[in-house]
Amino acid sequence: MIEVERLRKDYGMAHALKGISFRVQRGEVIGFLGPNGAGKSTTMKILTCFLLPTSGRATVDGFDVVEHSLKVRSRIGYLPESTPLYGEMRVDDYLRFCAEIRGVPILKRGVAIDRAVELCGLRRVTGKNIVELSKGYRQRVGLAQAIVHEPEVLILDEPTSGLDPNQIIEVRHLIERLGQEHTVILSTHYLQEVEKSASRVIVIHQGEIVADDTRDNLVASMPASVITVHVRAPLEALQRQFHELLPGRKVVIETLADDSLRLRVEVGTGTAPLEESIARLVVKNNWSLLELLRERPSLEDVFRKLTMPPTAANNDAAAAGTGEVARA
Amino acid sequence: MREISVIFRRELKSYFLSPIAYVFGVLFLGVLLYLATQRQIVDGQQASMQAFFGLLPVVFLFFLPGLTMRLWAEERRSGTIELLMTFPVRIGHLISGKFFAALAFLAVLLLFTIGLPVTLATYGSLDWAPVLGAYVASLLLAGAYLAVGMFWSSLTRDQIVALLLSLVSLLLLYAFGFPVVAEWIAGFLPTWAVDLLGGISPYKYFESIARGVFDTRDIVYYLCFCGFFLHANALVLNNRRLKG
Repeated sequence: MIEVERLRKDYGMAHALKGISFRVQRGEVIGFLGPNGAGKSTTMKILTCFLLPTSGRATVDGFDVVEHSLKVRSRIGYLPESTPLYGEMRVDDYLRFCAEIRGVPILKRGVAIDRAVELCGLRRVTGKNIVELSKGYRQRVGLAQAIVHEPEVLILDEPTSGLDPNQIIEVRHLIERLGQEHTVILSTHYLQEVEKSASRVIVIHQGEIVADDTRDNLVASMPASVITVHVRAPLEALQRQFHELLPGRKVVIETLADDSLRLRVEVGTGTAPLEESIARLVVKNNWSLLELLRERPSLEDVFRKLTMPPTAANNDAAAAGTGEVARA
Repeated sequence: MREISVIFRRELKSYFLSPIAYVFGVLFLGVLLYLATQRQIVDGQQASMQAFFGLLPVVFLFFLPGLTMRLWAEERRSGTIELLMTFPVRIGHLISGKFFAALAFLAVLLLFTIGLPVTLATYGSLDWAPVLGAYVASLLLAGAYLAVGMFWSSLTRDQIVALLLSLVSLLLLYAFGFPVVAEWIAGFLPTWAVDLLGGISPYKYFESIARGVFDTRDIVYYLCFCGFFLHANALVLNNRRLKG
């Protein structure tokens, strides 16, 4: 449905996109992740024909964004980053304007507007001026204008930024529903958003794609998960026993205020469950086990690993990798 | 055509929805009618609208930039231009829709001045043909001014900057049409430049049409003038797509 090949965009001396390539199949929901200024919005603006690429190619449904811009634009519904709307217009007038300009035939217009109003939960505010609406409702109007002509592709630039947690959940549900009928590309800072709805995640950083995979694969690519053991036990015995149980593993031990100990053991994601042998060890020594848990890497960890400046990421790794006993 | 009409209707409606339009309209008509009645309009037995139409180039000069300043600047400031330009509509159609909406709003205002010739016709004998011709000429002149104002509006996201730039450029264009100014700039500019600047001044072409003399050259001039600035407007918008 969407093909992007070696797409570059320079703003003067700055290179916003350094030749990215990706493909999106019909019906996919793609999450675009990346820190601010990574190039997410630029990519979306090129796909929607708002900006022209410096070089490279992008096609939507086989039509080039430069040469067949009108055909591309008629296949796309777009929600720009800050949800720009004509504040002085009424919601229903605005949606009618969007349907008309997008060429929805006059006989289908009423039904199309009704459907968008219904899907986005705008029934109560159709008679209000857009300027009077709360941010959540404005966002819904923005989504409604993007879907009123039933486009094949939806491009949503940070559809939940600036909303409160309840509104975020509402909009996320809405996007999930839209994802069932449309091909969707959405960009976001909120990782939970793509954890749930996106079938694939593209992480973009400093104008380059640093990861393009399913959510699960991305998480599995993280080298390690961490097992935390919180026990009350003599320090030396515990250290000795754990070295015997897990030879060669990094174990960070920390003494807490109430004299209990917290151990952090890094294990590969694929390794056999260690929880059982750890529990057995604790019971055998008659220590008291306060907590035993495995922290799985989240998309957030993947994101941090891929987009942190290399020095900061190294420090992080170094801090996690010390095998020494730290006393709090 | 459908696209032009959709944009046209939205823009025109937004003129009538904004309170500024009403303030603008009242001021425009007030100033225009006050100045027109101050001048002698009944000369013996022959009523004439010449005094009224003679005022238009100057009154337009100060008021029309106010009509065009928001056309693109506001879209850019609020970001709605991003939606507008991603609709499946050609840039030329967007520009035409906005341009004709501004012109239509002005035409509505001018319609309110029809009371003046009607009054004249009641009290004296008025030759309607040149009056109607002059109204058409006023629209041509207004179109030229609006095209300039809209061009400036596309270059900035600040309405006030757009207003001032159009005001200054229209003042200059207007001034070049006067022999006094032409003589003055002839002191430091080559003759061809003086002729060129004098030649593009919309004021010169208005005089004869406003008297009721329709010359094809004058009409062609206005169409070219509008076309030039509307095309420049499209170039600015396209260039922005390239630069981002």
